[in-house]
Amino acid sequence: MRRAGFLVALGAALALAGCGGGSGKKGSAGLSASAPKPITSGHVNITVWEGYTDSEANTMKRLAAEFNKTHPHITVTPQFYGNSDYALQKVLAAIAGGNPPDVSYLYGSNAANIASTSKLVPLTNWLNQDKAFGWDHFYPFERRVATVNGKVVGIPALVDNLALVYNKTLFKQAGLSYPTKNWTWADMKRAALKLTNPAKKQFGWAYVNDASEDTVWRFWAMLWQAGGHILTPDGKKAAFDSAAGIQALDYLQSLSKAHAIYLDNGSDNYLPLFGAGHIGMLWTGPWDLEQIRQSKVDYGVTDLPADKNHQTISGPDNWVMFNNGSKRVAAAWEFLQWFTSPKVDLQWCLGTGDLPIRDDVQSLPGFKTYLKRYPGVEEWVHNLTNSKQTRPVSVVYPKISTAVGQAVQGVLLGKYQPKQALAQAAQTTNGLLSAPQG
Amino acid sequence: MSAVAEQPRPPAARHQPPPARPSLLKRLIGSEHLAGWMFVAPAVILIAIFFLIPIGWSLILSLQANNLLGSHHYVGFANYNALSKDHVFRSAVGHTVLYTVIFVPISVIGALGLAVALNRRIRGIRFYRLAVFTPLVTSTVATGILFLWLLDPTFGLVNYVLHAVGLPQQQFLQSPSEALYCIVAMTVWGWLGFDVIVYLAALQGIPEELMEAAEMDGASRFSRFRTIVLPLLSPATLFLVVWSTINALQLFDEIYVTTRGGPLESTTVIVYYLYQQAFQYFNAGYGSAIAYVLFIGILIITLVQMWVGRRRVYYTS
Amino acid sequence: MATIASLKDDTFLAIDDPPPARRRRLPFSPWHLVLAPVAVVMLVPLVWMVILSLETKSEAANFPPVLFPSGLHFGNYVTTWNSVPFGDFFLNSLAYSAATVAGNLLFCSLAAYAFARLKFFGRDVLFVVLLATLMVPYQVLLIPTFLIVKDIGMVNSVGGLIMPNLCSAFGIFMLRQFFRTLPVELEEAARIDGTSRLGILFKIVLPLSLPALATLAIIQFMWSWNDFLWPLIIINSATRDPLQLGLATLQGAHYTEWNLLMAGTVMSQIPMLAVFLIAQRWFIRSIAFTGMK
Repeated sequence: MRRAGFLVALGAALALAGCGGGSGKKGSAGLSASAPKPITSGHVNITVWEGYTDSEANTMKRLAAEFNKTHPHITVTPQFYGNSDYALQKVLAAIAGGNPPDVSYLYGSNAANIASTSKLVPLTNWLNQDKAFGWDHFYPFERRVATVNGKVVGIPALVDNLALVYNKTLFKQAGLSYPTKNWTWADMKRAALKLTNPAKKQFGWAYVNDASEDTVWRFWAMLWQAGGHILTPDGKKAAFDSAAGIQALDYLQSLSKAHAIYLDNGSDNYLPLFGAGHIGMLWTGPWDLEQIRQSKVDYGVTDLPADKNHQTISGPDNWVMFNNGSKRVAAAWEFLQWFTSPKVDLQWCLGTGDLPIRDDVQSLPGFKTYLKRYPGVEEWVHNLTNSKQTRPVSVVYPKISTAVGQAVQGVLLGKYQPKQALAQAAQTTNGLLSAPQG
Repeated sequence: MSAVAEQPRPPAARHQPPPARPSLLKRLIGSEHLAGWMFVAPAVILIAIFFLIPIGWSLILSLQANNLLGSHHYVGFANYNALSKDHVFRSAVGHTVLYTVIFVPISVIGALGLAVALNRRIRGIRFYRLAVFTPLVTSTVATGILFLWLLDPTFGLVNYVLHAVGLPQQQFLQSPSEALYCIVAMTVWGWLGFDVIVYLAALQGIPEELMEAAEMDGASRFSRFRTIVLPLLSPATLFLVVWSTINALQLFDEIYVTTRGGPLESTTVIVYYLYQQAFQYFNAGYGSAIAYVLFIGILIITLVQMWVGRRRVYYTS
Repeated sequence: MATIASLKDDTFLAIDDPPPARRRRLPFSPWHLVLAPVAVVMLVPLVWMVILSLETKSEAANFPPVLFPSGLHFGNYVTTWNSVPFGDFFLNSLAYSAATVAGNLLFCSLAAYAFARLKFFGRDVLFVVLLATLMVPYQVLLIPTFLIVKDIGMVNSVGGLIMPNLCSAFGIFMLRQFFRTLPVELEEAARIDGTSRLGILFKIVLPLSLPALATLAIIQFMWSWNDFLWPLIIINSATRDPLQLGLATLQGAHYTEWNLLMAGTVMSQIPMLAVFLIAQRWFIRSIAFTGMK
């Protein structure tokens, strides 16, 4: 009796397992070769997933409302999905569940991972055909990151880079001269040590140390400044465990040992701390500019200090489109066209302090207002030219990032030594790169 | 009843044909069998679909490489093999066991002491009881967020108190060596009330006469406690030990909301690792293998505890 | 001895006993020295949660922590309510909890009555099989349940939250134990009168089982209201989050704004706290019951 019941359950389970899944195969069906035309009848609802907070969230809501008003046949609903670090996971889970959003914000480093899903809407042909879109006006490294094996997987949503932001008041108090474009690592170290004052809970520098991509990409900037590379030119093996990488990690270790770095655990506590005058220097991007401005700190912005060069890292992120039927695809395309047009992008920049994603924004009359409203932002715009290298566009990049993140975090927490930590991460990376991709 | 003895039945009655029985169908419909099955049907269907089938399917999944998006193929015991070599999984097991071994005794013994203290008839006891029970009602997510702030190295209350009494500041949840113990503190705070309630109920079930008799015999308070109260509480103790252990081995929510398994994976526990593998990296097969290993582990530990308990627990009825 | 029958006893756990007068060496009982610090440790985090929720952003991110905020900034609650779909969070949780409570009460009663009073083919074996499901940790069920819910197309919906939790063997077990303590004569009398079995259940057995039903309802309500892992897996969009998941979403939106984060936490805990304070006796009784087998 008991055995019979078990067999029935097992049989049912086998049957269900056999027919479970596989719902995403018909994804690309229904996509036309030429770009969809604007919608002129009926009504379409689309969802846009994003991880915006504060001023970015407010601006997003405002612009979405404006779009809905001027495009009566479409209703765009922005949806907050939480931290963008988990966006890829959420999107893939939604695809697995059979109901992905129409548009989603995704890190550039996730481009390769999302490129393989059949639910993705590839944009290559549409962008090449539609001259009015102005794909050529998007910066070259942006377009490189959004393209996987010749397929354009998304439209840049954010372009940025890391620059040095410093608290002028604290520098004056410590008797230091302000950082300049000629600063070196040694200069920064000296300043950081001088600005550190445990009694006042004051730190010279802040570093995001939660072992996520945020931890890793700063390290990449330092690696490049020291003359190193992430991978070998053929992309098959790790190259970050070179002398340049060890040098960069040594630098971090020495500053951390001297308690000169505020180690942020991923909650971005460094921002209010900087605003309250507890941190001397930040390596950050324009996304923090609005908060810094509101904190009334007297701040300055300059290039990152150099070892052998002033390279910075840029993290272009993308709007990625998913196929929920031709009508929704058409609506999503119409929205993205509008949203990334120069005029609307300038609105975005004005509301958030983010950098313009295309170079023809700079010729608009309102651009001067933008530069004035966010003192220092022109530095980031200029710094875009220092963005020479990009992170590898690879399906296993997230796992490489995890390995390197652990290494950097471990060194900063005083648990690992730079050489061993990087060697370990390199070993993991080589294993990942050599495994068959499938 | 008449006083006359009853006449025996006329023998002719034995030759009458028995009354016609209802048809088979009618018997079936009116029968207790059908009624029974109809009554249990909804529950059985629901439990079959959402419990029994998943139990079997999980085992099957653990024998597959499955990415939750539709593609899967069978790999035999490869997942279990990989698990045995996976050093992250091994440290997850280590962290989980360490957490459990600290959490369970602190909760159970602490709760016993508190229950004894709360079993008094002193003024304000109602307030004290409420104070102890209230954290139980807050959700695990709320507890996590609360303690994230309390233990924040820069802004938190605890470091402020330490600073005020001259003790050094701690990194708490941001230190790989301290984080897991902070999680213990947080979960003890959140769950102690449960154990206290169970012990209080058990304490109040101890007959007064037993205690009074022992008192009259001259037994000290402490020996009364040891020889009468503790044994009588042993069923509750066994239950709490088993229950707390099972829950401790399944720790997840608080980790997700506070440390996400870090720093440096020092708070990665088994269920968190399962979640990462299955729902962040989409290794559903590997995640299922982890789940089954956890299942077997919990089963064995529970059985051992019950066996040990059977010989030491004193039942009164 | 605490048993399931004592669920009917109204003086259970005697929480409002008046204190009798006693002579003491100290002006107060020495137990206060133990209980007072414990009460402080238990309550301080909650009190602080409320204080923080009423401070400004800079007060909340201050060292040393600001004990007495400059003013009561109730606006934080409004801001928090508007920054994430809080109204939706509440409604989703309400739907989830109400549906699972109703489902469990109904289906478990039906099944428990059959197991307790009816003789049917395979009854005991079936009971053991159902009971065995309680032995399995729910993480084992997680992935396949996700796949099942996906196959019926209910991912990212409140229905998908509810379906797997409509009935559990725990309720069946508990109610069966309770039903068996009821005197069988009442039901037999009704049966002879011709009442259907369903009628007996609803007109006689259930009205006598209110304490047990209330206990089951409370336990299930608390479980569903505070559930986190299952919603985390099945829900992707913020508007479908139940409350605890919504709280985690709020955390993702306001990592550094502790005042708003605490306002959100306060709002999310108020319903449960309120129900607890009002129905203490029922809560405590329910929890104590789980300690009895």
